[in-house]
Amino acid sequence: MNLRAIGCNFRTAAVEMREKLAFDPAKQERAVVDLSSRFGCEVVLLSTCNRVELYVARQSGEQPFDTGLAAEFLGEIHSVPASAVVPLLYEHVDDAAVRHLSRVAASLDSLIVGEGQIAGQMKKAFEFAKKLGATGPMLNALLAHSLRVAKRVRTETTISAGHVSVSSVAVDYVRQVFDTFRDKTILVIGAGKMARLTLKHLEALQPGKILVTNRSPEKAAEVAALCGGQPIPWGQLDDALAKADIALSTTGAGEPIMPKERFDEKVLPHRGTRTLVVLDIAVPRDFDPDIHDGDRVCVFNIDDLARVREQTLGERRKALAPAEAIVTEEVKKFADDWNRRKSGPAIQQLRVEVDRVRAEVLGPLLGKLNGKLTPTDRESIERAFRLFQNKLLHAPIAALQEASKEGESRKLVEAMRTLFGLKG
Amino acid sequence: MPVPLQNVTLACFGLSYLLAFALELGRLRWPRPSLRFAGLILGAAGLFAHTLFLSIRQPTPATAYGALLALAWVLAIFYLYGSLHHARQAWAIFVLPVILGLLAIAFVAVSTEESPELDLNSGAHIWGAIHGLFLLLAAVGVSVGAVASTMYLIQARRLRKKLLPLGQIKLLSLDRLEAMNRRAVNLAFPLLTVGLLLGGVLLRHYHGFADNWMSVKFLGTVGLWVVFLALTYLRYAATLPGRRLALLTILTSALMLLVLIAGHPFVRGDSP
Repeated sequence: MNLRAIGCNFRTAAVEMREKLAFDPAKQERAVVDLSSRFGCEVVLLSTCNRVELYVARQSGEQPFDTGLAAEFLGEIHSVPASAVVPLLYEHVDDAAVRHLSRVAASLDSLIVGEGQIAGQMKKAFEFAKKLGATGPMLNALLAHSLRVAKRVRTETTISAGHVSVSSVAVDYVRQVFDTFRDKTILVIGAGKMARLTLKHLEALQPGKILVTNRSPEKAAEVAALCGGQPIPWGQLDDALAKADIALSTTGAGEPIMPKERFDEKVLPHRGTRTLVVLDIAVPRDFDPDIHDGDRVCVFNIDDLARVREQTLGERRKALAPAEAIVTEEVKKFADDWNRRKSGPAIQQLRVEVDRVRAEVLGPLLGKLNGKLTPTDRESIERAFRLFQNKLLHAPIAALQEASKEGESRKLVEAMRTLFGLKG
Repeated sequence: MPVPLQNVTLACFGLSYLLAFALELGRLRWPRPSLRFAGLILGAAGLFAHTLFLSIRQPTPATAYGALLALAWVLAIFYLYGSLHHARQAWAIFVLPVILGLLAIAFVAVSTEESPELDLNSGAHIWGAIHGLFLLLAAVGVSVGAVASTMYLIQARRLRKKLLPLGQIKLLSLDRLEAMNRRAVNLAFPLLTVGLLLGGVLLRHYHGFADNWMSVKFLGTVGLWVVFLALTYLRYAATLPGRRLALLTILTSALMLLVLIAGHPFVRGDSP
């Protein structure tokens, strides 16, 4: 294996530098083609907002691609002095590079651990390089391996449990109460920036109806036009709440717009048994928190959403140790498979060659003894030759397989080719 | 019929369901697809053995033993369907304990398997069979309602405490669970009504109503019907909150269980 993973990420490089080193598709194409032709190697370039990484594989024995070369190359492409790039780069070699790639794909090395985008970005980067003819057996095998690790980590641990953006957590809460939305009504109260973001997530649920109310009718009409909703006068807030299934509130009011007494008197009696979910992301809060009973009315405010975000991150951190164990297990498996794959053809060639020699010796012998042997004698002789061949080959093949496990089979393969006269 | 099939016992499928349940519990700690797959295989094996057992032994549903085994069988189908259909939800965690509980009670009742209390319930009598079928389906409805209600209470508790199910048992939404409970009870009520009316008519024509109407089974079933009526009223007329309706449904299922095992000698204290 002659593999390097070299790059920088949010830990080693500030955002200004990451911006300078980032690749757009055109630059990425130029870089991959240039690097692969200039160094005659397999190359994949991963560029996201949190990392820029080069995965480079060369033939065993060739001079490895190192941090210095990578810094020069990145500096040249982005017109940044190499000396400014070198301190930002990290370098992982062979098994450590496989491990690094697995951790990146499984989102163990991400800014938000467990986020789901990175595996897709990595797949895209590999496919991009493959289309340009810049990948080969090593990096193709490595992509399949990394995606497999990412899948195992995702399904066997809670690393990707829950969501961490406030808007997504709000939708998660809503989904605990409802799972079909075509017959549901969303009421938007106010027109804060946060409301628009959360509303975007709620719109994706395809609700039956969206009502928008605001103290300013113009603002209500504006938000309603954006989301295909229906503006209603501020004075009809109680009626609208009685009809709604989900209320999203973000007014800038200085005190609660819906005290418990008002809710109990003007809204609750008109709702039947239907549950109302209130996402109160206004500061100060719009709804009296005592309205919440977790059955007929569920009120979630900004603190609840932030708490769940922290809880989710905590749960993900708990999954780190089992996830790392999966990575370790899979990296070993990959290294074993790769080494076996390397010595496999040589072993096969040896077997074929010795089979050929056996047939060459045994054929004339059996011809000479033709007519003097019973079928049983003939079979015994053939079996004896085969047994002799197997016993003779057992030790070299076992040694080769053992060396493959250690990743040191190259010299043995060469020695075997010389000793047995095999073509390279 | 080959001998091994005849040797299927309650313990065979009971153990299969128990192991499937243990694997489902294991999945809460280690969420691996292999555990889910193994659990489903064991559950399916249990259902297969259960089906064989019922078709070979043919225990009459007129006895507590037969009724409990038949109810457990329908619920086992419901469990497998739910586990396949709602792969992400911890369906089995809630349904399997009900099945195991029914089998455990049936196991206690096994010694009196051959002594049906009332002939009118006998499968040999067409109306008795229809009466039994209606009551069995009503019992399935109540059991499903009780399972949905238990999930509802847990989900409502989580929401009251503003928790999200991170790394815990995943449940259907509150809305869906309420709908499931409502549909199950709405289906069970007419079935129970028809079953009860048929039972009353059969009792009057074949066995003397005056002698038998005081039986625990008959009175219990009438009581169950009244509770159902109250449940329907509270849901639609009094708009009782979902949490209380869920609790009432669970209580109704407990009463139904008593009715199912009522009339059995060990409940009445005759023997075993």
